Order: sequence, then structure tokens, then C-alpha cells
Amino acid sequence: MSMAQESDEAKATVTSSVDLLFNPGSVAIIGATPRENSVGGVITKLLLSKFKGKVFLVNPKYDEINGVKCYKSILDIQESVDTVVVVVPAPAVPRVIDESIKKGVKAAIIISGGFSEVGEEGAKLEEELRRIAQGRIRVLGPNCIGVYNAYNGFDTFFLPEERMGRPQPGPIALISNSGAVAGAILDWAARRNIGVGLAVNYGNKLDVNEAELLEYFARDSRVRVIVMYMEGLKYPGEGKRLLEVMREVATVKPIVVYKAGRSRAAAGAVKSHTAALAGSYEMYRAMFRQVGVIEANNLTDTFDMAKALATQPLPRGNRVLVITDSGGMGIQSIDALDSYGLMVPELSESIQDILRKRLPPLAVTRNPIDLTGSATDAMYKYVLDTILPTTYVDMALIIALMQIPGLTINLGNYIVEAKRFNKPIVVVSFGGNEYVVKFERILEDNGIPVYHAPHRAARALGALYEYARFRGFVRGVMA
Amino acid sequence: MNPIIAKALEEGRYKLLEHESFELLRQYNIPTPEFALVQDVNEALKVVKDIGYPVALKVVSPDIIHKSDVGGVILNINSDDELRAACERIRRNISEKAPYARVVGFLLQKMVPEGLETIIGATRDAIFGHVLMFGLGGVLVEVLQDVSFRIVPITEDDARSMIREIKGYRLFNGYRNMPARDEEAVVYILTRFSELLSENPNIVEADLNPVIVLERGKGAYAADARFIIGLS
Repeated sequence: MSMAQESDEAKATVTSSVDLLFNPGSVAIIGATPRENSVGGVITKLLLSKFKGKVFLVNPKYDEINGVKCYKSILDIQESVDTVVVVVPAPAVPRVIDESIKKGVKAAIIISGGFSEVGEEGAKLEEELRRIAQGRIRVLGPNCIGVYNAYNGFDTFFLPEERMGRPQPGPIALISNSGAVAGAILDWAARRNIGVGLAVNYGNKLDVNEAELLEYFARDSRVRVIVMYMEGLKYPGEGKRLLEVMREVATVKPIVVYKAGRSRAAAGAVKSHTAALAGSYEMYRAMFRQVGVIEANNLTDTFDMAKALATQPLPRGNRVLVITDSGGMGIQSIDALDSYGLMVPELSESIQDILRKRLPPLAVTRNPIDLTGSATDAMYKYVLDTILPTTYVDMALIIALMQIPGLTINLGNYIVEAKRFNKPIVVVSFGGNEYVVKFERILEDNGIPVYHAPHRAARALGALYEYARFRGFVRGVMA
Repeated sequence: MNPIIAKALEEGRYKLLEHESFELLRQYNIPTPEFALVQDVNEALKVVKDIGYPVALKVVSPDIIHKSDVGGVILNINSDDELRAACERIRRNISEKAPYARVVGFLLQKMVPEGLETIIGATRDAIFGHVLMFGLGGVLVEVLQDVSFRIVPITEDDARSMIREIKGYRLFNGYRNMPARDEEAVVYILTRFSELLSENPNIVEADLNPVIVLERGKGAYAADARFIIGLS
């Protein structure tokens, strides 16, 4: 029986248990171990040191691990347990889950591999597991890396902290088809101060799948953008269900998807006009377009867009104010903006007259507004305060190459102040000097996304515009 | 199950016959050229009085896949005499080139005015269900693969963006001495076709090829249709 065909009734009674996968009050690690470089060892260490709830250790081989009592079986624990994290070998998993159900546990994260992903024997084991779990306990996995919750320290990502950085709490939630990719993304995000508050990898999705995780994140008010890394769906009818859920969720908050595996099946598709399409990338793309999901071309692209979507208001139109201290960067950004359907409208003579009064004679005032190498913080502030509140533009792309002498860190504060105009702002900054890094930090800490190339900033504005159109914020514009 | 599809499956056929395909389209208000299934010359001569010249004549047979290859199609028939000759010639061609084919009859079909040739296709995918395709016809679809897809069911807006997504969309707005095309008529066909597919899960594959798009305001027609069916 397919997941989609599962009894809806049985599911409804335990749906709230999905929350226990992310926010358990108490957790038991089945297969806890002191062995440092093992999966169970890393999880034991992580949860004991960081998790804000109660942690029980279970493993018949030990009486205690690092001074913490270890139980022979989950049934020996006197207190109640919300969630189990299972790290025992595959053949032992069905029994362990059965015991957990007896204990009254409502949710299980099965990290253990060795199920349908390894072949027929594993698939049989997975079927057995499904029979035991169905309608009685919610299951994430098996064969997954599980959950990362930056808010309460619930973290089953079995990658040691010295190998994988953990991002700070923040408005981005990640759903990943791949555990390894999820780990790499979190590490990367941590390094760049991108707040990924919640992350999850669902492995073989015996029970909880991406559609349900989307629904769950849609309800969590801390999540402002949902990022998905997808390789492919596998169960019959799954696409239809995901389409319905995406359509619903996208009207509440933006979903950014990077779908890997895009090899073109279109050639075959066209040959018979229709056949040979099955599971092809074209279908995923069709689905994304249909439901207002924003598609990324790679992982950096994904987070470039997510950063803007998480922090910026939605624009009411496609007109961009570009302010730059480098003519060359200005031109690059126009090219990029154009490719996303955004325009850089020339400002009216009357507005330009006002600008000229306070800008140096060499400055270009048409838009892009080129303040040249003699730019100062005050000039940027003047242009922002003069143009951004008008109806001539819907958003701003600010290029600030901080290497010129007239600019100081204070420019960051001026840009942050311009948030009061309630229009999207993104900043292009390029360079590696400590001074530049400090400037970027002020912006990012205050909700202004910074990009290291004009095309990436343009892409971010393009995503805001695309989503604004989908949500109906933009009037009178057709695709 | 739709009776047309049910009947075909009952007879062990996995492809609808021409007139069945058109009949199915007609049930969903998808415009097709006027047509009739006739058994012989006399019936053809009688029916053509209602349809009016020019017409095309096609052999209808469950055993013939490529009708033109066996001389089973004659286009641009303009008079009773030509119609008589066409019936005769197709019979002769079939008895020579496909002697074992069962002939159900002839499809008499009104010739459609020329227009922009497009293709609407569909396939049933295990994961997504029915998926709809739109593209420009002929060489453009084969060489340039200039097509767009959506998952069934689609809305009117989906249909519109499907049409506008293809690179050849400019042809809809008129180019050089070619007139602007009836885009909304295609939107209508796409949405009706989407409904036809969602209500008939037994359709495994389908093509409307070509869909001829006339000048703006003058409509569009499915000039040919092919349905592959199967158990759901």
C-alpha cells in the first residue's frame, strides 16, 4: 500500500505527534554508546550536551555512559518518553519500535540504515517496520540523519560538531532529500551566519514525508522561508499530493526548491510527444511553476533567495533603484535584473534635479545612480531617503564597494534605517578586508541581505518579485 | 467509466478509433472539425451535404497505425465526383497495401482552414498523474523541443502561462504578414482537455496533433486526436 493511500483517520489521530519529532520533552536514544566516532556516539554526545529536554540512554551493553545511567530496555525507564532516536542495527529496529509503542512513545527518528535502500531483504524489513508502526507511532526515516532544531538543541545530525558547524536559530527551515547534503548545508550556513532554525532529512520516508513536513513548517511561526533540497519522489501518487500541499503552503510562506537530477528527458518526451516523461525533471519544474514554488539552480542560489525572502517585505512592482559607487558593477546589475524581468527605470528630470543639488557634478543621476569613487555615506543616505519613499521604485539594489575612502561602517546603519520605507533592499559588497566584513555584519545582523556579486543580488530581488506576483502583491502585471 | 473508453477496453482495444476520439473530445466541448463515420460511398455522399466541402477522407481501422503510409488518407476533396473517387482509391490502396486490416469505415472530416499548428499532449505518470504538454507543431516541436508542461488539473492561468512559456510564443502575437492568433481558444482547449483527463484515469497517453489555431477571435480546433487507454 502506498503512503498516499494510508488510512487518513489513523493518521489524523497522531498528526500532532509530528511536532514531537522536533520538540520532544523527553528523548530516549536506543543504541546510545560511548564510542566517540560512531553514529550513536555522536548523537549521545550531542543530545547530552545540548538538548534542553530530558535524555535517556538505552543500550543493554552499558550500565552508564559518561556518568549517565544507561537502561537495558526502554521498558525499564520509569518516566514517560515522547520520542525515541533509534541507532541500532536494522534487524533489531522492528522489535525496538514495538517496545517503544508499548512504552507509549509517540514519535521515532530511525537513523539506522539497512532497509529498502539496500535491496530486497531490507525492503522486507521495512515492510515489517511499517506494519508495526502504522497508526501507532510517527516515524521519521529509516535511513535518515533526522532533525536539527537550533532553538532547543534537539540535534540528531550525527556529524561531529568539529566537522559540521551548527547554524544559529533563524527564519529558514530546511527539508532535505539527502542527509549528507543537509549536513553540508548546515555547516555552510553556520559559517555564513545564515539562520537555519530547523532542518530535517526524511530518509526512506516510511511514514513522514516531505508533504507533511512542509505542512508542519507552514504552521511554525518562527519559519519564514522553507528551503527544499529534492532529488526525486518515489511513491505512486506522491507528486499529486505534494503539489496540493505546496500550493497551499506557498500561499502562506515562500518555498524555495533546488531539484537535483535535471538530465533532460525532453528529447524522448517529444518523440512520442508524451511518453518517456515519467519522473523527468520537466514534471517537477511544471509542478513548481504551477504552485508558486521558487526554483533555484544550485545550493548557493537557494540560500541567496531564501535570505531575501526571509528578511525583506514583498515588492509591489518590478522597478529597481540601483545605487552604486562603481559604474561597472551598476551595468552588471542591470543585465542581471533584466534577466529576471526587473527594470531599472530612468528617473524623471525633476527628481534628478533634486538629486543633483546634493550630489557631486560627476555623479550619474538617471538610475543606476552612480556616486562614483568620491561617494560618501551621506550621499547614499540622501539618495535612499529621497527616492525610496517615492512611487517611482519598488525596491533597491545598493552596490557599496567599501574600498573607496569616503565610505565608512556607518553606511551600514543608514541602509538599515531605510528599512522604514518598507521596500526590499539588498546590498552588493565585494572584498575581504576586515572592514568590509564588519560592514556586511551590520547589515546582515539587521535583516539586510548582502551578496558578493551583482547577479546574486539581482537573483534575490527576482525571487522577491516572483513570489510577490504569486501572492498577488503586484497589480496589473502578467507573466 | 466513459462509455467510449469502456467499449474499447471491452473489445480489447488500447487505442480509440478516430471517430471515438473525436466523439470524446466533443463530449468536453473541445472543438473539432465536423466529422462523421460512414460505411460506403452512398452514405458519404449523403453526409457531405451537411458537412460541406472541402472534406478529408480517412480510413478507420484498428489494424492500421500509419494511415497515410498505406494510402488511407485523402485531403482537400471538393466535389461529389472527387469524393466518389477518393472512396474508391482508399479501398483499393488498403486492399493492396494492408489486405488483412479490418476496415470499420471512413471518417469524413471537414477540412480546417489553415492556421498556426500546435500540439497538445498528455501522459499518465505514476508519481504525478496526468501531465499535460503544449508546444508548436511540426518541426518546431521535434527539433527545438519547445514545449511546456503542467500537472493536471490546470487552471486557466496555468494554461495561459503554459502557452506563454514556449519560445515560439511570439507567433501568437502575429509576425510579419502572419496574423495574431486566438490564444484564448487554446486556453479553453487546454483547460477542457485537463478536465477530460482528470475524469478519465484510464487514459494512458493522448495527443491532439495538430491543434490548429486561427486568427484572434476565430477559434482553434483539434484536427486530429489519438488516445491510448489502459486499465487504471
